[in-house]
Amino acid sequence: MSDVILQATGLHKSYQLGKVSLKVLKGVSLTLQRGEFVAIMGASGSGKSTLLHLLGALDIPDAGTVRFEGRDIFAGGSRARDRLRNATFGFVFQFYHLLPELTVLENTLLPCMVGNSVWSWFSRRHALRRQATEMLERMGLKERLRHRPNELSGGERQRVAIARALANRPRVLLADEPTGNLDAATGREILSVLKSLNEEGQTIVMVTHDPLVAASAHRIVSLVDGRIAARQEAPKAP
Amino acid sequence: MYKLFLCLRYLYKRRIVFFAVGAVCLCVMMVLIVISVMGGFLNMVKDRSRGMLGDLIVESTTLQGFPFYEEFIARLKAEMPDEIHEATPVIITFGTLRFPRNGMTKPVQVVGIDLEETYRVNDFKEGLFYEKYYPGTTHFERQQEPYLGLTKDGQIALPPELEAARRRWEANASPQEIADAWRDQRLLLEVEADDLPKELNRGRIPAGLKRAFENRLFQLPDKVEVAVAKKGKKWLLRHAYGVNTIQRDGDKLKVYYSAYTGPGYFAEPESPLSREGPGWQGRPLPGVILGTDLCAERLRTGGYARYCRRGEMVALAVIPFNPKGGFQEGTGFLTMPLRYVDDCRTGVYDIDSMSVYVSFEQLQDIVNMTAFVPDDRDLDELASEPEGAAATRPSGPAVPARTTQVQIKLKPTVDTRDKVMAARNRVQAIWERVSSEGLAALRDAPNVLDRIEGPVSWVKVQTWEEKQARYIGAVEKEKYLVTILFAVISVVAVFLVGVIFYMIVQQKTRDIGIIKSVGATSLGVAGIFLSYGAAVGVVGGAFGTALGTVFVWYINEIQDLLIWISPSAQVWNPEVYAFDRIPSEVNPSDAIGIYIAAILASVAGALIAAWKASKVWPVEALRYE
Repeated sequence: MSDVILQATGLHKSYQLGKVSLKVLKGVSLTLQRGEFVAIMGASGSGKSTLLHLLGALDIPDAGTVRFEGRDIFAGGSRARDRLRNATFGFVFQFYHLLPELTVLENTLLPCMVGNSVWSWFSRRHALRRQATEMLERMGLKERLRHRPNELSGGERQRVAIARALANRPRVLLADEPTGNLDAATGREILSVLKSLNEEGQTIVMVTHDPLVAASAHRIVSLVDGRIAARQEAPKAP
Repeated sequence: MYKLFLCLRYLYKRRIVFFAVGAVCLCVMMVLIVISVMGGFLNMVKDRSRGMLGDLIVESTTLQGFPFYEEFIARLKAEMPDEIHEATPVIITFGTLRFPRNGMTKPVQVVGIDLEETYRVNDFKEGLFYEKYYPGTTHFERQQEPYLGLTKDGQIALPPELEAARRRWEANASPQEIADAWRDQRLLLEVEADDLPKELNRGRIPAGLKRAFENRLFQLPDKVEVAVAKKGKKWLLRHAYGVNTIQRDGDKLKVYYSAYTGPGYFAEPESPLSREGPGWQGRPLPGVILGTDLCAERLRTGGYARYCRRGEMVALAVIPFNPKGGFQEGTGFLTMPLRYVDDCRTGVYDIDSMSVYVSFEQLQDIVNMTAFVPDDRDLDELASEPEGAAATRPSGPAVPARTTQVQIKLKPTVDTRDKVMAARNRVQAIWERVSSEGLAALRDAPNVLDRIEGPVSWVKVQTWEEKQARYIGAVEKEKYLVTILFAVISVVAVFLVGVIFYMIVQQKTRDIGIIKSVGATSLGVAGIFLSYGAAVGVVGGAFGTALGTVFVWYINEIQDLLIWISPSAQVWNPEVYAFDRIPSEVNPSDAIGIYIAAILASVAGALIAAWKASKVWPVEALRYE
């Protein structure tokens, strides 16, 4: 098997805005190597978030396929996509999207709870909780386990979101403008977290409109008007 | 796992859901209370119905009755000794009752019973008033009217026989029972000596005394016969419902409701100050027991104010019928003067306001239901008969004595429905045998057969439930109807749960998107809200069941509290209802059923919200902050 982990071919996606059909993606193909850190860049509305959602099985394309390790992720119906989102992909969003009623630890454990039935949860809960705690400690949130999201700063929230995305040890981490809502210093912090994860072998796809942020990636894919404009290696590629 | 976790977390984190829990709780409470009270009422009605009928009733629903009952009862006791405790004939007919003292006449149902046998067949004895407080003094024999008088030591008392009977009751009664019987004899108030009426006053209550009674529990009626007189230090006030004393204690007056300290309403001597002792008056007359509501007014306390004195004469008029149902020739209403010896309260108003109980033999005699030899000679033959003592009596076989009912009490061992039905069928078989044998014996007397064949064929054997099926059925229907009504009202709670859950889903669209983005299925998300609904039902239902149960247990105390706050808040008015207290038992199977229904209803209320939650498209939900 090759080192290609995710391969998108000829993705089309349009949205219905009232009576107008808005074509967002017009045949996007993209190949992702295992262990790669790819940045998707583009202006607002260029379809980069949509592409990320399609890569992570959060949305369904009008045409085209996405293959994860050679298998079509849209072939198995919604249950199969739910399973992929739970165990194979991890999402990080610009607005963190944490559940306000849950503590930091519980938010992080959410994918584990979704992935386990009541009984398997009760038999594995200690291991899962330890694992999530370790992840949060690594994110520098050791003192924050019992806090609620509204008691945290933006950077801390985003680190919780990353910890949650990694809870089920996903094969691909998909980050949608992870620094978009943060100040520059905090943004850099998050980026360094992502970079160090990548160095440990985590495949990462990151959407951003900020060239400075994109510069952290191995490779930058630019989307212009629903098509891939150019590919370029990041200057600091290993 | 997340379904359980999130629904529990949402249950106590989302305050708005407390409204849904509260609504479910109130509805469960409401339905439970209604079912319990109505169910309790139904059980009481059943108990009372059984209590006044015995277990099996053999009857002809006609006024002329049926023959062969004596052989029938003898045969029943001989053939079913293990099943039959007692069987007694009862005559039921109609008539009018007149109270000569106040000129009141009422329509009545006249019931002829053997007192001792009836005591053994049903709960009749428990409903008697004087028999309770003066045990052994209630009977249908000829008797006079007792009257109160002053004993040598200045006490107001009844004739010694009655006083002795009352002491027998007191010796066996609990302190609570004695307190209950004396509840109308407490010290009401003290008045200053200045308020004391200076002279005897008839027709109106002295103003000073009336003022003193104002704003008290007990109110003196406006227009009563009042006599106030002084005797040493004791002041007596008499009014329509009994005797009252006013005692001077130093410069204070103490007013008592009644000077006679025993229960009941008795005749007093002409002057309350008469030095004569208690005694008996009037000519001896047979006794009669009246339905309590015929001779007394029900009070809010659940007690009765009797307006007929014990032993007072009443006049009962009945119509005799011949066996073929026609009027006895030459007779119309036959009137008999009787003395009111007691009153009976079965608890069923329709019975207590209509029934008059007299001795079986006496009633049988007066309505011509005793055995007689039919006289079919025509007028010409009669005209040729010599007059007076020389007249020949008609001869030949007699028409047997008749009754309209035989009440049967079964032994306690006949305890299941199947056993009762089996007993009923045996009784039926015995009746058929007795009646056909009886008819066969009269084969040679066509004039007798002609008179009794019809009545014999109209006899039915029923259990008390069958006999009272319509009355009990009505209460049963009422219970179901009210329960259904309240269940329909409870649907409001389903809508409330629906609305609140819909709001929560609206507010939580983004969170639902998040949960889906980490891999939750649509079904799983729907499951969160369905189990959330179930949790609302479980919690609300548990509170509702607990509160409802406590409410039902203490429903009478709650009513007492309401009455204490405002007397008009009395919901269960013993003046209206046959039972003094509100039924206060919760049937566990009712409670469980309501609880399960509450959970199902809450889940149903959450359905639309759950469906909407499952339709949330994560990309849309997560697009914006």
